[in-house]
Amino acid sequence: MLVLTRKSGEGIVIGENIIVKVIEIKSGGIRIGIEAPRETKIYRQEVYDRIKQENIEAANWDINDLNELSASLFSKKVKK
Amino acid sequence: MKIKNTRFGDIEYDPQEVITFPQGLIGFEHLRRFVVMPNDKDGPLFWIQSIEDPAIAFILTDPTNFFLNYRVIPEEREKEPLQAVKEDDVYALSIVTVSQDKKITLNLAAPILFNPSSKRAIQVILEGTEYSPQTPLPEVKPTK
Repeated sequence: MLVLTRKSGEGIVIGENIIVKVIEIKSGGIRIGIEAPRETKIYRQEVYDRIKQENIEAANWDINDLNELSASLFSKKVKK
Repeated sequence: MKIKNTRFGDIEYDPQEVITFPQGLIGFEHLRRFVVMPNDKDGPLFWIQSIEDPAIAFILTDPTNFFLNYRVIPEEREKEPLQAVKEDDVYALSIVTVSQDKKITLNLAAPILFNPSSKRAIQVILEGTEYSPQTPLPEVKPTK
């Protein structure tokens, strides 16, 4: 991992079109501004990791359970 | 076309019916093409099978079956990969997780947006949402 020291107001240019800027440093937190093309996906890492883990768990299911659950859910379905 | 050795066995599918995830799913960015498996059971669940990886399939449902007020408005930048013109072109679907103890949860924090007319879908992470990635189904009160 590349590690750089930056002061408030200073930035980092990544590739052709991404700029990360330190907006403000206060006790315990740093506000970061990001300029990137709008198709670039930007997530807080812990949120991204949480969803990734949930997707991995969601992909791990047993077809036998599903038949059973599918039937039990039908009776729970809310009428629209 | 055929996919071999899925948990459903060998599957025959129509290439016209393939759903494209131009960005993959989160953590599965390399898997771009899925088929919807025909569901012969009644009920709100259906599933999508990866064409590229026979081991990967997801259970999906329309979350408004369970959460009537759940709405996801696609952002401008999300319409492009979906080839959607207006918000109404796009439906939100939820990925269903079945836990070890057979409890069902819906991932309302990271829905799949689907445009039926282009057969394109993306997974989005809702920003600042109170919805959980593991939302249990609402309790059903017994009717008297």
